[in-house]
Amino acid sequence: MIQISNVVAKYPGGEGLDHVNLTVGPGEFAYLVGPSGAGKSSVLKLIYMDIFPLSGFMKVDNLISLNLKKRQIPYLRRRLGIIFQDFKLLTDRNVFENIAFALHVTNAHRRNIKRKVLRVLADVGLSHKRNKRPNQLSGGEQQRVAIGRALVNEPIILLADEATGNLDPESEEEIIQLLEKINATGTAILMATHDNKLVRGKNRKIIRIKDGRTL
Amino acid sequence: MSRGYLYSIVEGFKGLKRAKFSASVSIFTIFLTLILIAVLLIFIFNVNRVVSQIQSRMELEVFIDNSFTQEQIDSLNQQISRIEGVESAHFVSKEEAAAIIEKQLGQDVFEILDENPLPASFQIKLKSSFHSAQKTQTIFDNLLKLDGIDDILYRHDLLALLEKYIHIFLIIMIIIGTLLAFGSIVLVSNTIKLVIFSRRTIIEIMKLVGATKSFISRPFVVEGIVQGIAGGVLASLFFYCLFKIIKLEIPGLILIDQRIYPILLFLGFLFGFVGSMAAIRKFLKY
Repeated sequence: MIQISNVVAKYPGGEGLDHVNLTVGPGEFAYLVGPSGAGKSSVLKLIYMDIFPLSGFMKVDNLISLNLKKRQIPYLRRRLGIIFQDFKLLTDRNVFENIAFALHVTNAHRRNIKRKVLRVLADVGLSHKRNKRPNQLSGGEQQRVAIGRALVNEPIILLADEATGNLDPESEEEIIQLLEKINATGTAILMATHDNKLVRGKNRKIIRIKDGRTL
Repeated sequence: MSRGYLYSIVEGFKGLKRAKFSASVSIFTIFLTLILIAVLLIFIFNVNRVVSQIQSRMELEVFIDNSFTQEQIDSLNQQISRIEGVESAHFVSKEEAAAIIEKQLGQDVFEILDENPLPASFQIKLKSSFHSAQKTQTIFDNLLKLDGIDDILYRHDLLALLEKYIHIFLIIMIIIGTLLAFGSIVLVSNTIKLVIFSRRTIIEIMKLVGATKSFISRPFVVEGIVQGIAGGVLASLFFYCLFKIIKLEIPGLILIDQRIYPILLFLGFLFGFVGSMAAIRKFLKY
């Protein structure tokens, strides 16, 4: 489903990636583990085509970076869910509107938007806080809103970039459990983290990266 | 209207509400640039008006052969009236010419010369579409072909000079106007760019959730257009009030073409549209 093959890439302000290889299959839960600056975020950027390789290629679903047209990128991203350490929520909108935003972008019908957002809110356990603004929520709740937004378009894979990096241990555990639950429904997950403790004892695929190279 | 467009329009208006200060700065910038352009347009309009007035007063004075009988003069009158571009031909008899001289000099011409040497003439007015130097010259040439005409007087040099300078004036005004319009769009674009920069997070999120370029740009273009039209309305109101005051204080000083109001609204719309399109482009790269 996702394949990064022998990719060399450079991007502004970074060291770059050096012959990165990685695969994530349908429904798989994989961890991308490495220290800060190792290139984890860059690997995720490759997947959502924010940076392009100098050599090698990526294959996401059926799209291959070598012959991908720029205008296809938005449609590719609608099949991916992306969450970040800093949540990237719209502070001037409530929880419902933040999640609905991802559907408005796809020109979804109003009735479908309401139905899907309410479904996702129930999945992430925030139905009762749908009218709250992000600044009225805890860090863990904000990340759950971001996960809701990432899920609402029913992605093939959820990309999580240090998704628990800003959270206390309790909230971190809640988010991991939520991601496990999402994965159990068939959505693949690739979670980038610098935290070795997070992956210890878990029977999951672990891809290690250091100095821009996958090990 | 598709859901996407409706959403963009609603988002555009919400954006204005969210960023009241930057929207006000944008509207004020458009308002100021439109005032400069309007001053230029009013100046051009009024210079043209004065020139047209001078041109419309331009007459050809056709002097008739002294030996011509009244019958021949009537025939000549008909021939002159048939020439293309002639609006009217007013006959001035020898006696009327003498009376005019007497009025001008204060002395009867018979007292000085014992006879009236002044020829009868036609004072010819031209149609407004024949006021140019070239067309007046053609009428002049056609008049010369007629029998019984001794001489024709008209201020060809003044007409040619006026046309030459109005031509240069218009070229200069077009250059200034173009520079002003270009500068306005750059200014408006930069102001809108600041507005967009302050909301780059929402653009980043839009990109991440798969928004197309047109979806991202539409709310900002709607905002730009609304700001542009608002600037146009303000500029129109400003000039409307200003002209009311001028009209009351100094009647007849400046005439205002009423088309200035729709022109200002259209220019406001155009600046807002082009300015926002130019501003958002930079933020749309995937």
